[in-house]
Amino acid sequence: MNKHNRPPLLFQHFLSWFCHEDYFEELQGDLEEKFYERVKSKGISKARWAYRKEVVKLFRPSVFKKIQFRYSNNTNMFKNYTLVAYRNLLRNKLFSTINIIGLAISMAVGLLAITFVSEIRSYDKFHEKADRIYRVFNNRTVVGKEPQAYASTSLLTGIKLKEEATSFDIIVPIYNGFNGNVKKDQNLFKLKGQFVGEDFFKLFSFPLLYGNPETALQEPNTTVLTEEFAMKIFSRKDVVGEVLEWGPYQFTITGVMQQPPGTSHIKFDAVASLKTYEIREDRSRLFNDWSVMWTSYVYVHLNTNASLEQAQADLDRLAEKENAKTEFQQINPGLEALTDIFPGDGKYNQIDTVMPKKNIDQIVILALIVLFSACFNYANLSVARSMKRAKEVGIRKVVGAKKASLFVQFISESIFVSLLALFIAFLLFKLIKPEFISLNLYTERTTTLNLTATNYLYFILFAVLIGVVSGVIPALLMTKLKTVNVLKGISGTRSHKGLNIRKVMIGLQFAFSMTFAILVILIQKQYHQALNFDLGYNTEDVVNITLSGKDTKLLQAEIAKVPGVKTISTSYFVNSTGVLNSDWAKIEENSDSVTIYNNWVNTDYLDNMGHQLLAGVNFDKDGPSDQMIVNEKLIEKYDLKSATEAVGKRVYFYDKYWTIVGVVKDFHYGTVYNELNPFAYLYDTSKEMYYMNVKIETSDILKTMAGMERAWKTVNPKNKFEAEYYSDSIKRMYTDLSSSMKTFGMLAIVAISISVLGLLGMAVFTAESRIKELTIRKVLGANVLNLLTLLSKSFLVIFIIAVVISIPISLQLFKSQIASNIEYQIQIGFWELSSGALLVLIIAFFTIGSQSIKAAKTNPAESLRND
Amino acid sequence: MKGTYLGEFQEIVLLTILVLDENAYGVSIQDEISQRTGREISRGALHTALTRLDQKGFITSFYGGATTERGGRRKRYYQVTNLGRNALEEAKSIRDELWNLIPKLGLQG
Repeated sequence: MNKHNRPPLLFQHFLSWFCHEDYFEELQGDLEEKFYERVKSKGISKARWAYRKEVVKLFRPSVFKKIQFRYSNNTNMFKNYTLVAYRNLLRNKLFSTINIIGLAISMAVGLLAITFVSEIRSYDKFHEKADRIYRVFNNRTVVGKEPQAYASTSLLTGIKLKEEATSFDIIVPIYNGFNGNVKKDQNLFKLKGQFVGEDFFKLFSFPLLYGNPETALQEPNTTVLTEEFAMKIFSRKDVVGEVLEWGPYQFTITGVMQQPPGTSHIKFDAVASLKTYEIREDRSRLFNDWSVMWTSYVYVHLNTNASLEQAQADLDRLAEKENAKTEFQQINPGLEALTDIFPGDGKYNQIDTVMPKKNIDQIVILALIVLFSACFNYANLSVARSMKRAKEVGIRKVVGAKKASLFVQFISESIFVSLLALFIAFLLFKLIKPEFISLNLYTERTTTLNLTATNYLYFILFAVLIGVVSGVIPALLMTKLKTVNVLKGISGTRSHKGLNIRKVMIGLQFAFSMTFAILVILIQKQYHQALNFDLGYNTEDVVNITLSGKDTKLLQAEIAKVPGVKTISTSYFVNSTGVLNSDWAKIEENSDSVTIYNNWVNTDYLDNMGHQLLAGVNFDKDGPSDQMIVNEKLIEKYDLKSATEAVGKRVYFYDKYWTIVGVVKDFHYGTVYNELNPFAYLYDTSKEMYYMNVKIETSDILKTMAGMERAWKTVNPKNKFEAEYYSDSIKRMYTDLSSSMKTFGMLAIVAISISVLGLLGMAVFTAESRIKELTIRKVLGANVLNLLTLLSKSFLVIFIIAVVISIPISLQLFKSQIASNIEYQIQIGFWELSSGALLVLIIAFFTIGSQSIKAAKTNPAESLRND
Repeated sequence: MKGTYLGEFQEIVLLTILVLDENAYGVSIQDEISQRTGREISRGALHTALTRLDQKGFITSFYGGATTERGGRRKRYYQVTNLGRNALEEAKSIRDELWNLIPKLGLQG
């Protein structure tokens, strides 16, 4: 019988591959019987085609094998896998440590990102009506300028909507201003809160422990406290009916609410009825002026049968009417869903700090980069080590392990490792949590990173996911190994040739590390420059005391007596700390108006701060309150020939005429973010001064400070003494820079350690797998340096490419993201750019070097005698 | 009666098994059906129908002895159970009833 008399072999195999064994004998028999029948009646070739057709038609679910792992000793095998995984970890302690630590570091970042994102995403979700609550925001366009979006809107909007709009059933206006101190029995308690409309509790889900939510805020001068605030003041919660003083007003407590969750974008210790404000005459503009929209908010609940379009139409109608009344600006209100408020898209005038969406994206992307790096390291090292495990795989296969079960084994091994890493990562997470929260203003004010049960669940899922992701490539490679080759000892890996994925990945990792490192160095330099910027006057040894507005003369006399105090001056605000004041000004004979920045100071200020007078004289203490001292930029702006010419000129500024009595050398009244513009010091005895600038010359600073505080107490026993070094005030101005320095610093450390760990693994592996070659070379006379060159040659190209990639990227990032609005940028030269990259390179070469030295120092007999 | 619904093809298969009596196995059923109805049916389609009938309990099966004509593989013989017979009869009676209800006019036309 030749083979063409038989049914097609391929299709027989196909049938046996997919057919359930219960049906196989019957079906194959039937097909074969039919085949021979057809051979007789229709000929061999038609019969073979018919057979193929039949097999294809049998390919249907009712015929398929049940898909399952058919080993009965499931639990035993898993026990064995865990045991083998454990032994493997112990056998290669170095590699296990690299893997676990690398994974742990990056997973800690991952855990941070998970907790952070899940906390941010949970903001305002606790309100029962959340899906139909909207906030009215304003798009304000001043004629000739770009429109700007504000989170706030006028209270008038709320009132008009109540009267005219049909789309809303609950409207809650909020005025952000229930701040300051409340008094109870002569004790002061710092308060942060809002005045809110009477339907506040109907709209938002803040349940009351005591009091009636429907009537609590109906009357003027009523307030509802949070649980914690009530405890702070009264040390009990049931305080309905008690009275608190706020300024000249008395507030009756009408309710106590359950402590609101931290994930509310409106934060408060207490809310008071907005009615309180409505009856105060001096605040009437607040309620009937469309353009007074700076600290008031309107929240609405959409009718069940109203659409968002209808609601917007209501707002547009209102805007049209109101905008017609004014020419210089257009205000167009819009609606924004409650759950879209946090994280925010950068609207001005938020009711409280709102985390920008940008921040979250950045953190997620950075976390992904780091995680990806670590997963790759794991995969890379496992693949590199796979030869050592090849025998195990071979034996398992011979004994009867299927591909699927080998795959399961290696995946479960990497999950095992990542769960171990999770444990360490969790400890690391606890460690860096406070650092992360204090990273910047936003995280400080809006995140707690408190862990919930869901977070823990996410953590474990995350670890399993990381295990699968990092284990899948090694697992696939291992299962593919050919049993025979493995047992014969032929390795199937080609790791030294060409541009393979492994080298690209190491290159990428190093490019990331270098980018972060360079950025840190650039930002650090910029920060340093900002702090040590030559301002053009002297801030050294100056302490600024915040004044409370009373008895400044008396206080000055008292402080002057303190030993160590040298000179004292007063000013309206502190220059160079980000505070700016300006107005339009005109010189008599010149018709162009110019913006002049300014500060009000007393007669001692210029001397105290070491300003240099170029022309004219200092303020005359007994002279009129219209004296002005200007800077050189003002002279330039008005095209005056010299500083002396300016003296005596009169300037119209702040609704009156001032006389220029002197000119000072240009100095930086602003920050590195501002360019220099015309500036003037004004002398006006009627202006209240808020700061006392005390120059100190002492060997015992603590004693002087204590002396000043005592002096303060004698004049001002009730208020706190607040003093700060001038340099510290300036430092506070640059928290932006210092926080991005921290962020990138942290990332640089993480990225560098992960990539160095990966490199270490690769170096060890390379050295180990070439140990015989190295030893023979050594025997023939090669020295340590030769061996080092040999080993690092293949890495060198990778590093050069990484440097080439990372320098322009970090430069671009610095210029476009970090220093884009800085007027006085640092000079970026060769060393600024290369030192970061060099640092990483040096660490990398040390890593490789340590391994080659180890290889070079081993006694040749040790590594050669095994053959 | 969702579980015991008898599809048209399944009904033909059941009837064919009854017709073939002692000799009802895959190939013979396949051949018989294509002879009677003139349509070629695949072994796959037949397999699906037989599995369904088996699940409903309308047929049982047993292996016969090995034969050389099919490479030593055994045949699986099918038999209709009492439940299967009942289902067939019920289907027939419903049809008869419906036929009787058709107005004479319609039949003549």
